[in-house]
Amino acid sequence: MSVINAVTCPICGCLCDDIEVTVVNNEVVKVKNGCAVCEAKYMGYKSEHRIRQPLIRKDGKLVPVSMNEAVHKAAEILANANYPILYGWSSTNCEAQRVGVELAEEVGGVLDNTAVVCHGPSLMGTQEVGIPTSTLGQIRHRADVIIYWGCDPWSAHPRHLERYTIFTEGRFEDSEWKSYLNKVKAAAGKKKLLSAQRAGLSKKAPATVAESVVFNKPPETLQKEGRKLIVIDVRKSMTAEMADYFIQVEPNKDYELMQALRALVKDEELDVDQVAGVPVEYLKEVVETLVNCKFGVIFFGMGLTQSAGKFRNIEVAISLTRDLNMRTKFLIMPMRGHFNVAGANIVFAWQSGYAFGVDFSLGYPRYNPGETTSMDVLLRGESDAALVIASDPGATFPKRAVQSLVKNPLIVIDPHMNATAMLGDVVFPSAFVGIEVEGTAYRMDNVPLPLKKVVEPPEGILSDEELLKKILEEVKSIKAQKTKQKAEGA
Amino acid sequence: MTELLIKNGFVFDPLNGINGEKMDIAIRDGKIVASVNDSRAKKIDATGLTVMPGAVDIHTHIAGGEVNTGRMIRPEDHVKDVVRKTALTRSGTGYSIPSTFVTGYRYSKMGYTTVMNPSMAPLGAKHTHEELNDIPLLDKATFPLIGDWWFVLEYLQKGDLEGCARHVAWMMETTKGYAIKIVNPGGLESWGFGRNVHSIDDVVPNFGITPREIICGLAKVNTMLNLPHSIHLHTNNLGIPGNYVTTLETMKALESVPTDGKPICHITHLQFSSFAGDNWGNMKSAAEEISKYINNHSHMTFDMGQVIFTDTTTMTADGPFEYTLYQLSGHKWVNSDVETETSGGIIPMRYKRKSAVNATQWSIGLELALLIEDPWKMFMTTDHPNAGPFFAYPKIIAWLTSKKARMATLAKCHKKAQKKSLLPSIKRELSLYELAIVTRAGQARALGLKGKGHLGVGADADVAIYNINPETLDIAVKYKTARKAFDSAAYTIKDGVVVVKDGEVVQNVDGRTMWLDIKTAEQIKVDEEMKRKFKQYWTVEYENYPVFDHYLKVPEAITVKASV
Amino acid sequence: MIVLTPLKNFQFPVHAECISPDVFQGKSVKEIASLTVWEGNKKKKLGDLFKIEETSAETPSIIINSDASEVRRVGQGMKNGEIVINGNAGMHLGEKMAGGKITVNGNANGWTGSSMKNGLIEIHGDASDYLASPYRGSTEGMRGGKIVVDGNVGSDSGCYLRGGVIIVKGNAGPFMGFHISKGAIYVEKNAGNRLGASMTGGKIVVSGSVDELMPTFTIDGVKGKVKIDDTLKAEGPFYVFLGDLAENGNGKLFVSQPANPQLSAIYDKYL
Repeated sequence: MSVINAVTCPICGCLCDDIEVTVVNNEVVKVKNGCAVCEAKYMGYKSEHRIRQPLIRKDGKLVPVSMNEAVHKAAEILANANYPILYGWSSTNCEAQRVGVELAEEVGGVLDNTAVVCHGPSLMGTQEVGIPTSTLGQIRHRADVIIYWGCDPWSAHPRHLERYTIFTEGRFEDSEWKSYLNKVKAAAGKKKLLSAQRAGLSKKAPATVAESVVFNKPPETLQKEGRKLIVIDVRKSMTAEMADYFIQVEPNKDYELMQALRALVKDEELDVDQVAGVPVEYLKEVVETLVNCKFGVIFFGMGLTQSAGKFRNIEVAISLTRDLNMRTKFLIMPMRGHFNVAGANIVFAWQSGYAFGVDFSLGYPRYNPGETTSMDVLLRGESDAALVIASDPGATFPKRAVQSLVKNPLIVIDPHMNATAMLGDVVFPSAFVGIEVEGTAYRMDNVPLPLKKVVEPPEGILSDEELLKKILEEVKSIKAQKTKQKAEGA
Repeated sequence: MTELLIKNGFVFDPLNGINGEKMDIAIRDGKIVASVNDSRAKKIDATGLTVMPGAVDIHTHIAGGEVNTGRMIRPEDHVKDVVRKTALTRSGTGYSIPSTFVTGYRYSKMGYTTVMNPSMAPLGAKHTHEELNDIPLLDKATFPLIGDWWFVLEYLQKGDLEGCARHVAWMMETTKGYAIKIVNPGGLESWGFGRNVHSIDDVVPNFGITPREIICGLAKVNTMLNLPHSIHLHTNNLGIPGNYVTTLETMKALESVPTDGKPICHITHLQFSSFAGDNWGNMKSAAEEISKYINNHSHMTFDMGQVIFTDTTTMTADGPFEYTLYQLSGHKWVNSDVETETSGGIIPMRYKRKSAVNATQWSIGLELALLIEDPWKMFMTTDHPNAGPFFAYPKIIAWLTSKKARMATLAKCHKKAQKKSLLPSIKRELSLYELAIVTRAGQARALGLKGKGHLGVGADADVAIYNINPETLDIAVKYKTARKAFDSAAYTIKDGVVVVKDGEVVQNVDGRTMWLDIKTAEQIKVDEEMKRKFKQYWTVEYENYPVFDHYLKVPEAITVKASV
Repeated sequence: MIVLTPLKNFQFPVHAECISPDVFQGKSVKEIASLTVWEGNKKKKLGDLFKIEETSAETPSIIINSDASEVRRVGQGMKNGEIVINGNAGMHLGEKMAGGKITVNGNANGWTGSSMKNGLIEIHGDASDYLASPYRGSTEGMRGGKIVVDGNVGSDSGCYLRGGVIIVKGNAGPFMGFHISKGAIYVEKNAGNRLGASMTGGKIVVSGSVDELMPTFTIDGVKGKVKIDDTLKAEGPFYVFLGDLAENGNGKLFVSQPANPQLSAIYDKYL
């Protein structure tokens, strides 16, 4: 039995690196410190859906083949393609992503990561106005106003609140965990009291329904000392339940709300009485809270990036943050989903200059979301081959894009027989990054962390990096042969 | 065994006192040797060419989180400068923040062989090293930012220099760093809550320490640790009119630090710290005041931070300064504070000839470089990409070596800046020998790089050969010809291998990453207390913080014996 | 005059910035046929992809017959001459154009007239997103010249406009005139939401209905007629709004009063 400390969890952008994993006979038997999702992944990654050996589609069926045959087939597809797509990259390590960029360049393809369907708009927003941000520890130590906008960390990034924001002890700000527990207790007590009254057991006067909350009205506690949690969303999420103040914004009206807040921060008067379902007088109170805090932060999620306005929503959220810096310290950060989508953006950028949607077809990197992004290329039916790695567009892309993907030769690299792999023509099994393979990943605040190998992969199963290197080498050799033949022909 | 003989060139090797003598340079297995077997060695006929040690850049932001964020936010910067893949080289993009491969190619093509990445947040050190691995053809090193690191602030506040020194040694090893970098000391911690310090005697909120104490404390620590380079300082109040007073006070404060004759501080991109006036309207050069002080003291070295008139990207750990630039320009603004350690910011910037402020900045850089008499004190940089991209160096070479060249540029500048400029009164034109000092020998000496910046026996065989015949070409007159020659080296030789010929990459090699392995008598104790503190201060585990050996593709540990 | 006819339907993007009167000027058909283009990741010659014929007519300088929706960057940076496309046009048509004329007898794709400086683009069908808008990360919008679209335009058109005129005879998508600082945009029919968001100057005139007005505009009055350019006046009456307040902006938004009765409940009280 071995107990491995400080393991980095390969699930979400929180990249919690304090996980303790116990291994017996190359099996994970116990996981400490992780959230439920983390535990489920470490305990359950060895499912029956694991691909055991390379497969090639022959006569409509995926049949097992040798590694060499699969590598050659994949390389041939890519080397002969006129406009291939190389998509995914978010759930693998930076080492594999590095090889991926070189492969895309070698085959003149469109290199894209899953940011295109999550936080690509965030990157585009920063290209318009920049981004005032920090690492997560800075927020832990200093933030007294924490806003989650269009995201629900309690469900999607379960340890975000306890590790980085409202429920963590910082040097200059304390955890609000106790006061939250008191609130929960008080609420439970009130419930008991109410039901007692209903049962005629209590003679106390009927409770003034203390939380007879006026819709979207800021509570008095918004002015309290210490950390304050504000949640803005279209529905009351789990995180919203625990917030000091929840603003329910009308769907697809975030842009208007933020632009109105910007005008109010600049002391402008608005002609309208309400914006996005929130009375302007309440918004003024919100602005008071924001400009009077010591250190505020906005975390935003796909509620902003993927609703109407997309990257303009992010641009205005960042602009609001910039404006608030005229009055106090305010920062903003995207809640990145996949554990290493930030790494994919970072690696692509240092090698090519661009973070996603990189088109190498002209022999140099080009970038223009809408033109060079995988989704758009697929929807226009321009590509003639694809390699998908560490992601599952077969399950997540719109139907028309999937059809376009399937129409052409499709290479898939994944540990699992996922939806995309089932549609593939050449399928490679790979080892689990962060469980069976080490490497580097980048947290949502762009902090690099080492991933650990805690167990050995099944026999014969290679890492993404090793597989990509094999394919790259084979592509180079096929191209060299072609050049030679051409020269001889001439 | 590979041998190379560079025959009959005009050699400029200031560290060995060689000033344009016609001689041969012999190379065996990557090192300069006294002689090689004349029949076996490959030969380069350098007749009529200028031979110098490979150039060294003491300060250039080429890798890491800040640089890469700059890349990510500026597609409009890349789209105008694309680099195609070739059979030998990778593709990429420029302009002001080139992708990693392009960075290596472009430096090498100018005869550069060693560069220093001067700004690395320790928490992001792995990132910096991953990028350095992807910068080919150059030897590299990187400086961790520790001037506002809580451990440093706390130990110095307590007056515990030895404790501080041990932690700095630990940090250098942990981040695989090469020198102590200090940026706007105290200002960055203050910026955590949106504040700044405005003189070297302002007290840093919550820490009870002043910039003066941080600078002098770390300078002493640097001496105690016997580090090859001095502390590397970006001064307080950088980029603000009237800041030359702060710069002078800083230099005076450092006189109190004992030295055995070695410089105890390097003030980087001095141009940005030499503004007189008290607002942007009357901002002017303080090059006279600053250079006068420097000419009378020898405890420090400097680099230029020369402004280039072009579109570029400013990026520095000085978060509050970048915020000031944002307020001035309204451009896209990145701020990137790092817990427990430092901050950072990015603003795109276009330096215009027709801007009085920009043109004055341009003039200040050259005035300083020309008025500081000793070339061993002042080196050529643009603080890439802050004052301009590094591949504009040949332009600076022309301005430094040719009055004609700089007057031609000055004539196109804003009238007000022209009137205020000291350049018309300065006759000095750097010789090729002096140029070799400010672009390699001086930089290597200041950095304490024993095998760099010279061509003596035992040196690394990093050589640059330029198409300049000093007997027939007067670079002060034919500055355009010289500019071309320095833009496109006839040969660049890295560790004895010809990597560039006629300005084109002909061979790909990986450079090394140099780092300091500091041996202290007593190391810091990594006990439960230290781990507990670590958990309090950072959001990553102690075990995951260090840059492990495998993060350096070609590591070169330089062992230093500390006196603590 | 050079007539280009695609030899096939293009599946892969074709990059053909060489299709420009300035480039063709003084070249023989043979020389034109050997100009470099890219089809997907393959380098080709223009003659590999197009039938190229020369006629004696002077104008237009270039005609592309049939669909060219995958042919990108036609007329990029052109300074003189005239291009007519009898079919749909590809992305980046007339990008950074500095003079001359482009006519599309069909629909135009994204980034048509992106950051154009001068000249005239006429689209007799619809235009897609980012009409006249600059490249990602850039704020250098259209500076001069004129674009006329007979049909509808997509989203984010006219962004960062700093001069020139855009006339849309149909409907406009969301974020029309985002962050403009100068110049004029006229939408004859209806406009999508976030109209003129973050504008700091210039004017936007809408004769039809407006999906929803940004809350950050303040009413300034009502006006009968508004001048678009020297040749065109829009008939009102129009509500006049100033904004965008979030940018302390001083842009003018003219919105038809009769076509937007929903605005009267909110704004009439300030008049």
